[in-house]
Amino acid sequence: MKKVVTGVVGNDIHVVANRLIDISLQARGFEVFNLGVNTSLEEFIDAVVETDADILLISSLNGEAEGWCRDLQFLRSEYSLRDVVFVIGGNLAVGEAKQSDIVPKYQSYGFDLVFHQVDLNTGLDTLEAYMKERA
Amino acid sequence: MSKLLIDVGSTYFKVCQQSGISQYFRDFKKDIYDDLVTKCGNIFSQYHKEDVFICSSANGGLSTLIIGLTNSFSLKFAKNIAFNSGINIIDTILYSKIEETKAPLELVDVVIVVGGIDSISNVFDEKLLNYLQKVQYSNIVYVGTHQDAKFLVDNIPAIKILGNIITGKLHVNETELKEFLTNLYQADIVGKEDIKHLYELTSNQIYSTPYIVNRSLPLIDANFEVVNPFIVVDIGGATTDIHYSRDLVRDNILTESEYDRLVFKKLGVYKSRETLVFAAKNNEFVYELLSYLNVTENILEEESEKALRILMQLSIFLVLYKVSRLNPMYVTLHLELLKTVVLTGGITKVLSYEEVETIIVFFYKKVMNLHAIPTIVMDYEYAIWTLGMRNNEARS
Repeated sequence: MKKVVTGVVGNDIHVVANRLIDISLQARGFEVFNLGVNTSLEEFIDAVVETDADILLISSLNGEAEGWCRDLQFLRSEYSLRDVVFVIGGNLAVGEAKQSDIVPKYQSYGFDLVFHQVDLNTGLDTLEAYMKERA
Repeated sequence: MSKLLIDVGSTYFKVCQQSGISQYFRDFKKDIYDDLVTKCGNIFSQYHKEDVFICSSANGGLSTLIIGLTNSFSLKFAKNIAFNSGINIIDTILYSKIEETKAPLELVDVVIVVGGIDSISNVFDEKLLNYLQKVQYSNIVYVGTHQDAKFLVDNIPAIKILGNIITGKLHVNETELKEFLTNLYQADIVGKEDIKHLYELTSNQIYSTPYIVNRSLPLIDANFEVVNPFIVVDIGGATTDIHYSRDLVRDNILTESEYDRLVFKKLGVYKSRETLVFAAKNNEFVYELLSYLNVTENILEEESEKALRILMQLSIFLVLYKVSRLNPMYVTLHLELLKTVVLTGGITKVLSYEEVETIIVFFYKKVMNLHAIPTIVMDYEYAIWTLGMRNNEARS
């Protein structure tokens, strides 16, 4: 069973979306470690280390993820987490933003999959396909 | 027949009978038993052994080194449990950096190793063994993933294995480690040859004083003019303890009691005077504070009544500083929410209310940037200690 650490990054309290992600992941057979809302990037990385998770799935709805996730590359390098898949989804910008601008930006931060304003099931389908391909 | 309550401190004995509390300065040339019997022999003769209750804080406090996998989980959980068990943390080590970390020079009472939920394995390896060879310790306890327990048992002599403090859902499981550390602390105090001897005077369990003071806290507002949230600062000869309401800690992760405590082993005014002076000299505010008190730093080297008062004032300041947001190493208390500061221990016999107030005003102005200060309550008669002893006795 693949292990996923998830939660909402930064000063963001969108708990309903967080619960829906948790339930959907469990329904798809993942073992879920849900850190809930208001979680810092360091806590996410630390939870991945403590659980030896396969996937880190960060969600953000208020658009502030950009400010909170810039240190991902640095934190990844602290713990040699090469095999972990890093995913971020939700509303990833404050105000209007194009998919074509947002995705490369977050990829440059170190995320493998970026879902900006993509519905949950589509995002999770893509994640599963990605994991299958890697295996 | 009424009870006899005794508190063995590092500087004074406190003796509480129906008629009131009396205190006796310790004679450091004698062992505790002989000293106590010489000074209070006639009092003991009036009581049966089962009516004598003793607690001790003489040289209390253990030191720990924590080795953990991450800051947010293993180290955070272990730090909280250790602090709340009356343990001084001398260092924390992130396992990923263990090869670059220097071993402490002093003897460590207990090393705590923690990391990983139970479903993961191979967290710890040779790096840990190599590091531990450089550390001098008396006890070592493992509270991480149980899958690594065998490797550690096979390679580390006398390692104690307890339940993982990190649950499968990344929550804290404090029970076993807290009990182990509390017992170790208790054993350290009552296991001292001097204290063991005291069982000739009592047939009851001898407890540590910080434990007894902590037991009194739920009753404190009924006996003093104390408003919650409050802290109780017990400044003695060897240690300074701070007991606080949970309401002052926003991210506290433990759930069992409404009150926690920290024991600062090196902030006493007699037996650990040198370390107190050292801590003071290294504090950024202290020279300003000394000037505010109209003295120079030379006072720290003097042996006078005035120097003792200044040292006691400094210890109040330092203990508040250590739990303030300026010192993230310890538990951070939200002192801006504090309503009452209760002072107990030897300090109440030396400092006046005004002298304490002067320091608290300085602390709130300089460190907290606030002009209003909490209410100060002085426990002149050690009533908090007797309250805790009676509460404990009633429970047992």
